[in-house]
Amino acid sequence: MIVAKYRSREVISNYIILIIFALIAILPLAVLIFNSIKPQMEFGVNPLGPPSEIRFENFSEAWVKGEYAKVFFNSLKLVAGSVLLCLAVSLAAGFSLAKLNPKGSAIIAVYLLVGISIPAQLYIVPLFLLWKEIHLLNTHIGLIIIYTALNAPFATFLIRSYMIRLPDELFEAARLDGANTFQLFFRVALPLSWPVILTAGLIIALAVWNEFLFALTFISEEGFKPMATILFAFQWRFENNYALQSASAIMMVAPVAILFMLFQRRFISGLTSGGLKG
Amino acid sequence: MKIFSNKNFVAWYFVLPVAFIHLFVIGIPSLASLALCLTDWRGLGEINYIGFENFIELFDDRYLKKAIINNVIWTIAFLTVPVGIALTCAYLLTGIKRGQMFFRLAFFFPYMLASVINCQIWKYLFHPIHGLGGFFERIGWDFLAVSPFTMKSTSLFAVAFVDGWHFWGFLVVIYLTGMYQVDNHLYEAADIEGATKFQKFRYITLPMIRPVFVFSIMIIIIWSVPVFDYVYILTGGGPAYSSEVIANYMYSQAFERFDVGYSSAIGTLMFFYVMIIVALFGLFRKAGWDI
Amino acid sequence: MIRTIISFASVIILSTSFSALAKTKVTWSMESNADRDPIMIEKLQNAYNNSQDNHELVIEFEDNETRLTSMRTAMIGGMGPDIVETPGPSYVKEYHAAGMLENLDSYAAEFGWKDKMIPWAYSSGVFEGSLYAIPKTHESMVMLYNKTLFEENNWKVPTTLEELEDVAGKIKAKGMNVFSYGSDGWQPTHEHLVGIYLNNYAGPQAVYEAIIGEREWTDPVFVEALELLKKHMVDEGYWSGSLENYYAIGWDDFHAQFANRGAAMMTIGTWTFQATQLGIGASDDEWGWAPLPSLSSQSPDPNFMIAIGTTMSVNANGKNKDGAIDVLNWIMSNKDKVLDIAKDFQFGEMVVPLTLSSSDIPTDIAPQVQDYLSEYARITGEGNYGYCTWTFWPADPGVHIWKDMEVVWAGDISVEDFLYDHQKMWDKARKNGDTLPVPLRN
Repeated sequence: MIVAKYRSREVISNYIILIIFALIAILPLAVLIFNSIKPQMEFGVNPLGPPSEIRFENFSEAWVKGEYAKVFFNSLKLVAGSVLLCLAVSLAAGFSLAKLNPKGSAIIAVYLLVGISIPAQLYIVPLFLLWKEIHLLNTHIGLIIIYTALNAPFATFLIRSYMIRLPDELFEAARLDGANTFQLFFRVALPLSWPVILTAGLIIALAVWNEFLFALTFISEEGFKPMATILFAFQWRFENNYALQSASAIMMVAPVAILFMLFQRRFISGLTSGGLKG
Repeated sequence: MKIFSNKNFVAWYFVLPVAFIHLFVIGIPSLASLALCLTDWRGLGEINYIGFENFIELFDDRYLKKAIINNVIWTIAFLTVPVGIALTCAYLLTGIKRGQMFFRLAFFFPYMLASVINCQIWKYLFHPIHGLGGFFERIGWDFLAVSPFTMKSTSLFAVAFVDGWHFWGFLVVIYLTGMYQVDNHLYEAADIEGATKFQKFRYITLPMIRPVFVFSIMIIIIWSVPVFDYVYILTGGGPAYSSEVIANYMYSQAFERFDVGYSSAIGTLMFFYVMIIVALFGLFRKAGWDI
Repeated sequence: MIRTIISFASVIILSTSFSALAKTKVTWSMESNADRDPIMIEKLQNAYNNSQDNHELVIEFEDNETRLTSMRTAMIGGMGPDIVETPGPSYVKEYHAAGMLENLDSYAAEFGWKDKMIPWAYSSGVFEGSLYAIPKTHESMVMLYNKTLFEENNWKVPTTLEELEDVAGKIKAKGMNVFSYGSDGWQPTHEHLVGIYLNNYAGPQAVYEAIIGEREWTDPVFVEALELLKKHMVDEGYWSGSLENYYAIGWDDFHAQFANRGAAMMTIGTWTFQATQLGIGASDDEWGWAPLPSLSSQSPDPNFMIAIGTTMSVNANGKNKDGAIDVLNWIMSNKDKVLDIAKDFQFGEMVVPLTLSSSDIPTDIAPQVQDYLSEYARITGEGNYGYCTWTFWPADPGVHIWKDMEVVWAGDISVEDFLYDHQKMWDKARKNGDTLPVPLRN
């Protein structure tokens, strides 16, 4: 009884702190939501407050002007391809660096760490010339390869930091049962690592969804352009139209928010049912 | 992991795809670009070898020094504030049952928005005419009426604030992933012994998530080196270079002044800076840190 | 048998008609602007395409900053659009040095382009004795003022420094800002002001001498000019009230500020005319314009700074050079069509520097713009023209002049030190042969 009372007091203070931080995170976004349903006319007199009249037409107008129906599928394709390819190579590398530690693999780790820090401005021009030579310009597969390279070092280290905490006894037991390295990876490591797979997948998906520098440079064919480039276009094509910009930003974030909730649902149900028993 | 050591070649198969793709897309083109650091190439046209002239100029460049100092300040700021807040929130989140999805979504939402949108929101909020600035002016708080992005003394922190505001939700998700590995029974046992919230965090959570925590520290330090987009969009490094960072300075040299050779020399300097950081990680690892 | 012949014939007919229909594509990567793009499509792309059967002009609009980077990357790779649009001679210089632009001499001679253009504008595209670029638009800097407001208060439109400082005091006393202007969204905005102070304080002759290397930038007249700018910007807060607010205010905001009497005047380029007409032009107040005031006795007469806003060149590696030349020649040969486009922008854009007579100026544009066009022609025709930094400064000092001006305004370095650095950059540019064409001053 004493324990329960103590915990309920604790829970209330938890909620207070969490609510404060949640407000810091989302209150500024109210501006975005207000702006997306505000008539453009109202910006001069009422820039910050809620709109006096709700105008959902901003969304349909942005949808048509931005050709969202088309670019949505381009983005979806890029995200799906990049997440699959990037997760495949990063899971393998993360597993090896966490549990196998082959001699000399530290070099790869060092290389990838240095690789994360290279700014795109340094290599984008040579990469463009290379992509032109091997005919990967204006192709989605070309961008998928770039996005994989961009995100794989991060994903590899994230996955490694998770797998390193998986109990060695499980691997030893499987090894004694005659499992080879591939079986250890597929049968032991992967099933226990779903939380980090979901997290890494989410982060990669998000990075690809919002990326526009490479998309703008490597895709010049209108029909292949992804969503982020359209949002970028909204920044200048309709620079005085905050309403359309805000509406298109919300349309862009909506699919990711849904994806996030789907991924996190699994975590939450896992947490409340007692978590990972190791 | 002694038991696997005889399987060395198989273990290598697992790391090679990543290494290969990264080398192909980023490694080799970067090296090609860095090779230009000894030339005066202007991005187009002929390439002349000029020896170490760029590097001599580099050590004389006061704005580059400013940019490097700002990068260090940026790194320290990110290692403290967002990490502290994210650890607190992630830990508190594991202690509640209702509202999980709401809080996770709220914390992570700024991270889901593209940088241009986040920057636009904050520029709008800080705007002296139609942002909160106008509001503060009306109620007489004139010192808050000026946009912090446009003041020399505050611009770097204002940009770091916006980037940090967008970034800490990412850390929450990373820490929550690590905390997933903590066995609930440990908390229950600690509760029975009357442990405080902080004691549970210090003696149960932190040791369990240490690899993820160290990973986050490492990734922040590494990511702070090429930090670019928020600076570029919000202030362009200004006013008067007060928010200049290395990557933005490099961009300006290559794409505004067309001094690609010099920009490559800056890139080379960055490369050495990162090598030092990575060497430090190596030392910690040798010293027995589990990273 | 008959069927075979018919089908054979129809194949021939089809294939000939097909080849007659098949126009070769000419691509043009153009700076985008929501208000302008539809007019460019209608009056340039479609008008050109309807005028002939050989080429099909396709304009691709893109935000200028991304466009420049991606076009540059593509050009290095031997690709890029057929018509290369750049923001000015310093860019043309880079592309020319790399051998990426087509020499236009023979076409200029064949089609008589030189006689059709304002001489200084023609010479701005001449590199190493040959023509490589044609200005797509040229522009100048002016001072706008709220005419109604000035009349209500009996203010005099300033023509000298004393008058400017006098009226500035009166405007501030009314709680308004002196000038509406700001650099948010376009950091190089500072160079507009720097150019005004250099030309209207030190005088165009001194600036010319410094450009061609006969005077040092550390000369006291330039120091004084920039000290005055610093005083007006930092101490007096002429532009939008304070240095910080000047940094925070962008294109929409400063037009709104001027339109709603937040400020009484505005220093801006002539590219503004369309926006001004849509902004304050749509309010109850009437707007006026004037040449920028003389700021010292070294520059007593009104002058107009000359500048190239955008240039057009032909990609040497383009797939359709003939088409690109044909498009350029169409522009050069159809003065009425080009003026019709410029008219829609109130002569703020697509002002190709063709020689005009006063009868060429359309009467269905804002009267202020008509007035400006004839004044501009008269005064520059008399040789009273100054130099905008973005047209006559080489790349490196051209960035320094605006980017590092912030350091001066911040008080981190003195004007002398700034100009000392500036001179060093000019010396380096001159040594490397990076200087740009300058028309001879008589």
